[in-house]
Amino acid sequence: MFPTLALMVLIPVLGAVVVGLVPKRRSELIFPLALVVSFLPLAVVGYVVWEFEVGQPGYQFTQQVLWYEPWGVSWNVGVDGISLLLLALTAVLFPVSIAASRSIEKNQKMYMVAMLLLETGMLGVFVALDLLLFFVFFEITLVPMYLLIGIWGSGNKVYAAVKFFLYTALGSALMLVGIVWLAVISGTFDFRAMLDIPLTSSQQGWLFLAFGVAFAVKVPIFPFHTWLPDAHTEAPTAGSVLLAGVLLKLGTYGFVRFNLTLFPDAAVRFAPWLAALAVVGIIYGAAVAIVQPDVKRLIAYSSVSHLGFIILGIFAMTSQGLTGGVIQMVNHGLSTGALFLLVGMIYDRRHTRMISDYGGVAKVMPVFAGLFLFSVFASAGLPGLNGFIGEFKILLGSYLRFPAAAVLAATGVILAAVYLLWAYERVFTGPIVHKENEKLFDLNAREVLIIAPLAVLMLFLGVYPKPALDRIEPAVAEVIERIEDATDFTAPEFGMPEDLAGGGE
Amino acid sequence: MENIAFLPIGPEVILLVGAVLVLMSAVALNQGERDWGIIGGIALVVAFFLSWAQWLRLDGLETNFQLAFAARDSNVFSNAMIVMDRFSALAGMLIFLVAFMAMVGNWRLVPRLGKRGAEYVALVLLAAAGLHMMTISSNLILLFMGLETASIALYVIAGFVRVERNSDESALKYFLLGSFASAIFLYGIALVYAGTGSLTIYGSGGIIDFFGTQPVALFDVGVLLTGIALMIVGLAFKISAAPFHQWAPDVYQGAASASVALMSAGVKVAGVAALARVLFAAFPSRIDDWAPLLAVLAVLSIVVGTIGAIGQRDVKRMLAYSGVAHAGFMLTAFVAGGEGMTSVWFYLATYALQLVGAFTVVTLVSGARSGSAPFDDFTGLWQRSPRVALAMGVFMLGMGGIPFFAGFVGKVAVFGSAISANYLWLAIVGMVAAIAGLFFYLRIVVLMFFEAPVMAEAPGTAKAAPRLSGGGGLVVTVCAALTVILGIIPWPLLNLVRNAVL
Repeated sequence: MFPTLALMVLIPVLGAVVVGLVPKRRSELIFPLALVVSFLPLAVVGYVVWEFEVGQPGYQFTQQVLWYEPWGVSWNVGVDGISLLLLALTAVLFPVSIAASRSIEKNQKMYMVAMLLLETGMLGVFVALDLLLFFVFFEITLVPMYLLIGIWGSGNKVYAAVKFFLYTALGSALMLVGIVWLAVISGTFDFRAMLDIPLTSSQQGWLFLAFGVAFAVKVPIFPFHTWLPDAHTEAPTAGSVLLAGVLLKLGTYGFVRFNLTLFPDAAVRFAPWLAALAVVGIIYGAAVAIVQPDVKRLIAYSSVSHLGFIILGIFAMTSQGLTGGVIQMVNHGLSTGALFLLVGMIYDRRHTRMISDYGGVAKVMPVFAGLFLFSVFASAGLPGLNGFIGEFKILLGSYLRFPAAAVLAATGVILAAVYLLWAYERVFTGPIVHKENEKLFDLNAREVLIIAPLAVLMLFLGVYPKPALDRIEPAVAEVIERIEDATDFTAPEFGMPEDLAGGGE
Repeated sequence: MENIAFLPIGPEVILLVGAVLVLMSAVALNQGERDWGIIGGIALVVAFFLSWAQWLRLDGLETNFQLAFAARDSNVFSNAMIVMDRFSALAGMLIFLVAFMAMVGNWRLVPRLGKRGAEYVALVLLAAAGLHMMTISSNLILLFMGLETASIALYVIAGFVRVERNSDESALKYFLLGSFASAIFLYGIALVYAGTGSLTIYGSGGIIDFFGTQPVALFDVGVLLTGIALMIVGLAFKISAAPFHQWAPDVYQGAASASVALMSAGVKVAGVAALARVLFAAFPSRIDDWAPLLAVLAVLSIVVGTIGAIGQRDVKRMLAYSGVAHAGFMLTAFVAGGEGMTSVWFYLATYALQLVGAFTVVTLVSGARSGSAPFDDFTGLWQRSPRVALAMGVFMLGMGGIPFFAGFVGKVAVFGSAISANYLWLAIVGMVAAIAGLFFYLRIVVLMFFEAPVMAEAPGTAKAAPRLSGGGGLVVTVCAALTVILGIIPWPLLNLVRNAVL
């Protein structure tokens, strides 16, 4: 079969080489070239989405080439409904981010090379079915992101870059030991072969923790979140978009793909703890977001809150909750990505991110205000836009398993409306207080074009999420089936007698 | 048989002939600046290809060579001195490659030394010969002689390219401590002989296997174990494993940068190979005794090296301490016995490449003849010379064990060996330390990429932008390229070194 996924992962690397070879005197070629290259994986992903057979469980577009027999390492890739949507999200966000990076002047070539290498890493994570391959892609995303923050960031960028790197690297250190340990036990790095290897309860527990810490730092789950506000705030616009849009999803994806399926027994045991941490994250993130004076920091903390929802949905381990968690990964990527892009656009004009420096902006920038409000609504979960579908399903699903957590989490929805709308009010409404803001000009066609695809997708997923859900649900059903087979846990469903639901604890 | 009997000792012969040739012609011609390095380079290249020839030859004729030259199949009291196997052939290729690159990396150093250039080249060749001898010996006395040949040559090299008084201090320190370690090693040999009655590596192993269960007068386990421990200590000193590492930072910093690449990478290759030969070939049956000792050494090295490196303000000292940690990482795989040798080889080969590359960058940036290489020299390097900075970045991330660089695969390999030998805790400690190690590797990256160059205090004193050209540029480029390539496609090298286990 044609190695579609290998092609998809390789294109950005080759593109990076081509961009890197552009001679200095033709530097005007760098931007268009990088933009064109970033569209190619989107085309391949489009093809994959088109050809993907809906309703079929298991992996499609699989390819396995043995690399090194003594270790059982292979190039082993495939997509299922869960990774399909995240691939699509990644492939959409990269052209958008690169298009939004036109104003980068400082060493543009290296910037674009870093972006394209980042794309390879992120696409690779979602298709890797070999644990060593997964780890390589998981970890390699750090280096370009570290450079993006450290070189092209703002403010305290070096501190933010190093903190980001060390935090996430330290988190994944034990995962590598866990992966190697698991490979020694099972004699292979092949994820699908590992599923058949029986693990003892204590092995599962330790391995769950080893993997879990790595993903928890990446997500980030409270209390591992402290790197996030710094990194998101100081990163350049495209860096923030990709951090929030894709990089955080590496963690949640890892939980769904590996922690739930490889260590189902431990997952059932640890689920209440993770649900509790998720709820703390939801409320804490929202509460801290309310008082942020810096728009970017506010959105960063809103990510802590939103990702808490996703974790809650995942560890509810119900069909509704997991499906909601997966689609919310996409939703958060779209709406938060759009918000960061919009903040970046106004930052380019005014070079400040402080809420107090604005006020009445809607008068001079009506289009900008409209798009911002649209994204705010999507992020806050207004019905009719994408965020609603995800949060609703998560709350529904988690209520079946952890009713108290679901009730507490629901306050997060209200708090989200508070911090987002209050920030909107302070920035956009009222009279123009600062003279500088009077001269602000509205978005130009290019900028509108950058936001447009995200806005269209937010609306589309909001009114007609069925195509996405149809693809997620078989994959999610498989995960839940796997947990139910391996443990005496039964995922609660609606209409199920009380005494059956949530068994196995 | 006669005509091919040359092959096992071929590299040594070539190197010694080269050394004598250089010295003689220098005396005979009595002239100043000449490129004696050419003879040295040729000798090293020939030695490398002879090792390669050994490797290829062993494909089909393995038994012949072993019967002719050594001990594996002969009786335990045999006088065989030299063993030629793929292990020694691979060690030879690595050592000569490292020595060659260390020489090419500072191509213009030799002519600048004037009349002493010839002596320098001769010393390098002698050191390479001694290092290789350590890996081909099947007799402990010969192993010691190889060790001493190499060490004495390196003591001289440490103080040879003298620009600062530090060089004297570091050479003397290296000499005194090194001799002490050699003495300990020799005492270990004596005790092993007392314990087993045999000096041959394969022979003493046979005796232990033979008498293993019944105590006889000749065979005293306590004496034997003390001997093994002392030999380990001696070699641990040479590869700068903690707690026998204190000399390394001072010596690296004091010696001229040009000579440190050989001193660090070359000795590590030979020392680790010799340690593997002794432990895996002579004492495999006592693995339960020495493996815990090595585990302790490994943990100490990793922790001490990592913590030591964090506080450094000089790249050479930082690399010295990181070298201590890397010695620990390699020892980690030793606990798996011969099974771990594939991992050790891979780690050793890739680390040697990165180390030679990094020290060559240091010579490009801070000067080949100067002792210290303060961090300030690297500040803002990316803006001054992007390619050099990029290469150094590759070496730093590679040593830090970031995926897509060779160091990552090495780490996976050694930790995998440790875990499969039920040393899970060792892998965990190692991995945590590896991440802590990122702290100081990243600091160099931060300095080079994120910060502006330090402004010169007076005009004209600013360091010229180092250029990636000449021999140094070549070595750096090759090492950086290999670090990346072996990080992405490590499988050919892994398959290769898998044939060189004991």
